[in-house]
Amino acid sequence: MGGLEGLLTGLEIAATATNLMWAFIGCLLGTAVGVLPGVGPAVTIALLLPLTTKLEPTSALIMFCGVYYGAMYGGSTTSILLNTPGESASIATSLEGNAMAKRGRAGPALATAAIGSFVAGTIATILVTLVAPPVAEWGLSFGPTEKFSLMVLAFMTISAVLGQSALRGFASLFLGLYLGLIGTDLISGQVRFALGIEELYDGIDVVVVAVGLFAIGETLYVASHDRRLVETVERIKGSLWMSARDFRRSIGPWLRGTAIGFPFGTMPAGGSEIPTFLSYATEKKLAKGPEKFGEGAIEGVAGPEAANNAAVTAALIPLLTLGLPTSATSAIILTGFQQYGIQPGPLLFTTQAELVWALIASLYIGNVMLLVLNLPMAGVWARLLSIPRPMLYAGIVVFATISAYGMRNSWFDLFLLAFFGLIGYAMKRWDIPVAPCLVGMILGPRADTELRRALQISQSDFSVFVTRPISAALLAIALALIVVPAIARWRRVRRARSARPT
Amino acid sequence: MAAGRRVDRATLAISVAIVLLALLVFAQLGSIPTDGGYSAVGPRFAPLVVGVGLLAIGLLLLRQALSGGWREMPPPPDEPLHAPSFLWIAWGLALQMTIIGVVGFTIASTLLFMAVARGFGSRRLLFDAIGGFVLTAAVFLFFTRVLGLALPASPIGIV
Repeated sequence: MGGLEGLLTGLEIAATATNLMWAFIGCLLGTAVGVLPGVGPAVTIALLLPLTTKLEPTSALIMFCGVYYGAMYGGSTTSILLNTPGESASIATSLEGNAMAKRGRAGPALATAAIGSFVAGTIATILVTLVAPPVAEWGLSFGPTEKFSLMVLAFMTISAVLGQSALRGFASLFLGLYLGLIGTDLISGQVRFALGIEELYDGIDVVVVAVGLFAIGETLYVASHDRRLVETVERIKGSLWMSARDFRRSIGPWLRGTAIGFPFGTMPAGGSEIPTFLSYATEKKLAKGPEKFGEGAIEGVAGPEAANNAAVTAALIPLLTLGLPTSATSAIILTGFQQYGIQPGPLLFTTQAELVWALIASLYIGNVMLLVLNLPMAGVWARLLSIPRPMLYAGIVVFATISAYGMRNSWFDLFLLAFFGLIGYAMKRWDIPVAPCLVGMILGPRADTELRRALQISQSDFSVFVTRPISAALLAIALALIVVPAIARWRRVRRARSARPT
Repeated sequence: MAAGRRVDRATLAISVAIVLLALLVFAQLGSIPTDGGYSAVGPRFAPLVVGVGLLAIGLLLLRQALSGGWREMPPPPDEPLHAPSFLWIAWGLALQMTIIGVVGFTIASTLLFMAVARGFGSRRLLFDAIGGFVLTAAVFLFFTRVLGLALPASPIGIV
């Protein structure tokens, strides 16, 4: 199915009353968790995974995607109105956004964020519609060798590119790979690393790990380190609407933000942190009076918010066409597909064409819903910020335990949840990123399978990974990602040493 | 960070834990059966790679921890660990998993709710108890009646 034909079929499915309802629920939940500190889209989708036993795959995935990009809309409300930005992707927005709100310009800030998100989300969805089918076609030529190399590349980028230290990124990745190996091996049927504990024969559920690391870990951290933190919520004063001048100043940043965000989303470099800061820096440089930055320049809100949404939408390209998650949230969505026995990848566009096109069509619909949900109702969402923290976090923890316990009513899963909560706390406290762990856990077993398939075909000849051109190129990029920064750092250290008088 | 400063015990402990995890992986390798040796790479191969990786990472982190601390660390949190808060939440989780099978989901989770709220500095015991009960009862009914998920009810029944 080509782009346009597929999209029309998809629209028919996505626009049925049931699917519209699930898209709406997803957008609503997504906005809510985006606004609320302490719980993000990854945890929310993980908590919703049990619903897959009740829902049609199309409905469930439409809802998950609604949560996924709805959280980006909601996140901007928090970063503008609250003095303490929640997620890393919204820090850039909060720099100018909170300054605007302090000067009584919360309305235009919220408006430029919502409209910018809509513009970027829609442009990015059009690009997904156009780009995804040819990428999937290209992906069809991939054998196990290429698939394995692609996953190695994804592991490298998510561990080494993001975060402060590549070493700690790899620590997280390998912890995830280890967790993914626990349980019964798919190819040989052998049980690995179960330590003789029967509950572990089926492996550790991703939900328990994701919710433990994120929700419980975050709760422990906030409770014990942010006690004296005083959160001030800015009031929304005056008009929500932007003046003609605000509009003129925003259009450029929206489009530039989209252009910056989209390519980053398609790369397995995870998250929207880098593009939002790049967009912020770009707008600061382009601004006629840069002294205005820091005092509430609307360009500094419009750009990063657009970049944010473009990146998040673009991340669906590697996820849907190659089965490659580029962030923690998209890794959880991948698990959602797997719950139905569907493997995202190039075949998705042929075997599950209706599902995938309904999903893409729902992005257009969802963006409209979110614009309507966020723009006039910003004040309602802002009220969520006044939930007292003890209540909010107590509720989050209770919800977290249901998802763990509801699976098989075993206290052992609650124990695992608490255990990963402690690990999550330690990872946050000592700056070990969590995303590589989840991606490693979810992709690891598949990488293992593809590796063994590739070697079965090549009759145990490891050289296929470097003699097949696509595979060789992917591995070369992966290697460069670790080696180049390491050399740069080594030279910097050496120069610093030789410059020092002895 | 200047060398010769006091070694940070927490990062040292995490580094050692990763090395120990690697050793655990190696210890269990032998107990994974191979599948007859048809291919060069059986069910033991991936665990071996993971073990080697963990060992290398753990040792590198250990070396950093002993020579001036982990590199490129962000500044420590503004407030040091407030142990009572941490312990209230940990205690709540431990309590819930212990009694959930006996007293049911709603009561166990209400107590967890109260413990977490207490960890966040709430002193309104009755308010938290009522709020927690209303929330967990609503969630219980939603999950069991609407979603059809099995959760244990309290001995009193209904919720």
